[in-house]
Amino acid sequence: MLKIDSLSKSYDKGKNYALQDVSFELKSGDVCAIVGESGSGKTTLVRLIAGLERPDEGSISLSGKVLSSVDQFTQPEKRKIGLVFQEYALFPHLTVLENILYGIAKQKDKKERAQEMLDLVGLSEMGGRYPHQLSGGQQQRVALARALAPNPSLLILDEPFSNLDTMLRTQLRSQVFEIIEKTGVTVLFVTHDTQDALSVADEILILQNGKVVQKDAASNLYVKPNNLYVASLFGNTVRINKDLQNAFHCPLNEECCHAIRNEKIKVNPDELTTDCDYITTAEVIKKIALGDAVQLVLKLETGEKLTVTTRDKNIADTINIGFNSKDILEFNE
Amino acid sequence: MKQAGNKNTVFSLKSRLKRFKRDNNRWSALTLAIVVFLALPILFIGVELFAGPGETWSHIVEYLLPDYIWNSFFLIVFCSLLVLVFGVSSAWLVSRFDFPMRKALEWLLILPLAIPSYIVGYAYAGIFDYGGSLALLMEAVNLDFVRIDIMNRAGLAFVLSISLFPYVYVSARAFFLNQANNLLEASNMLGVGERKTFFKLMLPLARPAIVAGLVLVLMEVLNDYGAAKYYGVNTFTTGIFRSWFSLEEPETAVYLSALLIVIIFSLILIEKWQVRKVKFSSAKTNNQQIQRKVPKKSQKWLIFAVVFIPVLLGFVLPILQLIYWAFLTASKVFNMDFLWVSLQSFGISIVSALITVFFALLLIYFSKWSALRLIKNVARVGVLGYAIPGAVIAIGIMIPTLALDKWLIKVLGNMGIETGLIINGTLIALFYAYAVRFLAVAYNPIESTALKVDNSIPDSSKVLGVGNLKTFFKIEFPLIKTGIFSAVILVFIDVMKELPLTLILKPYHIDTLAVRAYEYASDEMVMEAAIPSLFIIFTAMIPVIFLNKLLIKK
Repeated sequence: MLKIDSLSKSYDKGKNYALQDVSFELKSGDVCAIVGESGSGKTTLVRLIAGLERPDEGSISLSGKVLSSVDQFTQPEKRKIGLVFQEYALFPHLTVLENILYGIAKQKDKKERAQEMLDLVGLSEMGGRYPHQLSGGQQQRVALARALAPNPSLLILDEPFSNLDTMLRTQLRSQVFEIIEKTGVTVLFVTHDTQDALSVADEILILQNGKVVQKDAASNLYVKPNNLYVASLFGNTVRINKDLQNAFHCPLNEECCHAIRNEKIKVNPDELTTDCDYITTAEVIKKIALGDAVQLVLKLETGEKLTVTTRDKNIADTINIGFNSKDILEFNE
Repeated sequence: MKQAGNKNTVFSLKSRLKRFKRDNNRWSALTLAIVVFLALPILFIGVELFAGPGETWSHIVEYLLPDYIWNSFFLIVFCSLLVLVFGVSSAWLVSRFDFPMRKALEWLLILPLAIPSYIVGYAYAGIFDYGGSLALLMEAVNLDFVRIDIMNRAGLAFVLSISLFPYVYVSARAFFLNQANNLLEASNMLGVGERKTFFKLMLPLARPAIVAGLVLVLMEVLNDYGAAKYYGVNTFTTGIFRSWFSLEEPETAVYLSALLIVIIFSLILIEKWQVRKVKFSSAKTNNQQIQRKVPKKSQKWLIFAVVFIPVLLGFVLPILQLIYWAFLTASKVFNMDFLWVSLQSFGISIVSALITVFFALLLIYFSKWSALRLIKNVARVGVLGYAIPGAVIAIGIMIPTLALDKWLIKVLGNMGIETGLIINGTLIALFYAYAVRFLAVAYNPIESTALKVDNSIPDSSKVLGVGNLKTFFKIEFPLIKTGIFSAVILVFIDVMKELPLTLILKPYHIDTLAVRAYEYASDEMVMEAAIPSLFIIFTAMIPVIFLNKLLIKK
């Protein structure tokens, strides 16, 4: 339904690219998350799709119609894309109801539609209030209702939860996606938080320095990341370099790269005997209490330092550690 | 794999042209059209240069030009010195110390801006004249009156400085109040004394702010016509008037205008250059205001005196003189004709303020809606009129409109329609000139309020299916109303005070208060100039106070 083809954008005539050669597709009804650190090009991608920026190369099409390319451009107001901004961007001088009516002023049944939207987001009684009289979470839901009212074919959420604290965030995330599920709209959801992405998205697209490094189902990304960056987004991961190979006596093919998640490195003696192919001894140089677990900073024979977390309470000064060969991640780069 | 994002192909001429075609919308063309429209008077000065100088040009170069240059140089140097002394010292003292009536003085120091320089000039001429206020006062206390002749270059420099120093005061104070606190505390912690802190630390840091204020002062100095004329000092502006009205040689006026433009742009370049050299100024605004020191009792009154002197000279004395004259002449000046002139003055000011603000809005929003980055920079050119003296803009409009009118009369005459001048000598030319000259006055407050509205607000509107124009009326206009309102007020005052441009371009039968005051003064009836002057001043004072409130908030 949405087709992005080798999209590039530079703000300084090609010295640096905010987005470079990005291609992907979304099917109707998909919920796709775009994950990346700040500066990875997420916001630029969103603004390009919404028509708030113009690409230097490549094209964007929606339902078979080209919206942006090198020689074509559809104005944002003609795109029928819903966008919820990070800061909500509610019109401060209009009431909640007026905000929602804004995008459907020409529809015949606009009053009914607006009320329907208010009901959908659970703010039936709030139509007469002004944005500044609402809490952050309520403002967010108004922004969502406003974006959904014109019945967009694509809904983009740009970092919708980053202004909220952790408690509210989890609660609101499930609320928002319950609402979205009811409408069945195709969703592009931008976030820097992998938890957000994993909990709601069917598919995740990872951006790094303006390039797509991986697009895959959420479960696959954890098991088969394309590079160390992707792997690290889902928890600390170490590259199994020459020193580590020597320490664990595990000769690996030098042509490609290998890594292991810190959480896959075992400390428990039982697990070491039953579940590990590669084992070595390490000196515990620091213990950090983390409530019900302990974080250990280890020093290997080869001098390498490693951090592992364990629930075992009795840790000697020198211990054995190991991992299973099936947990080794393999990359092409 | 295709090498996408390759600089050579993506930014090749061919793909650039393609994107230019895609991004070139009507807003770009409209922005460009407005900029050209606003720059036309200056472009015409440039074009007219090729027509060659007039007959008297060689005479002027030989006998008058050295005088113009020397006088302008003298005024630039002495006004700079005086304005810096008055402006920086008062700004520092009110920011750093607490002393009697400090708060009142803080805004009283801005009030001289409400009095046009030429009116300050008239007042001082009256104070120092034979039989003037000073003479009467000395007589009353039995002292011999020694007349100080101020009707000369030095007197003019004094008058201009005392009425224009608030530009420096305002920008220096803004710096001292908002950006200096941390550094000041650091310097005090290091045990550096008050005087050394000021000269070694504060003054160099405040230099860009001070120079920015100074450049505004010098533009006004070079723009002045009324005071220079009254004090009999030959400057470029009086030269332009002389060649236009007495010698009836537009070519010569054009050449003088071009020279004046060169001088002004050199001043602006010097400012830009010195600001670039000062890269160390921290851009970050410090929210914490300076902690004021409470000086010793003896020092308190000394500081009060130093800060009060510029207020006394720039505001209190001229106003007292004008009020005295107003009582003497009230029965003669205050009549129906005067009310009619006041009404015209208000009408012209309000209409031109609305027109100017309208153009500023067009320029700001059209360039914003243009998708070409180049256009956004071009828009700034439209604001340059503020640097160009009113007399020069007037000449730049007079010449082409005369030519256009001649052509129109001929064309319409051929069609059998008899008309007089259509643009030249009508209000149309006058409104156009005010828009060119005061566009920046409207542009800046609107732009700064517009910048406070986050881009995501209008962007949301567009994504919701509403186009640029409707977004402006429904969303942006309600949010920037206050900026637009202050822009209207500010242009209104500037038009009320404006003299040289109005004198050249005003229709024959129309008068403004400024013109009326000038005419009285030129006709040896300077006392009668007091009432129209006071009207201008009181109209201008209300918003100056209002403007000060805005500045304090910032």
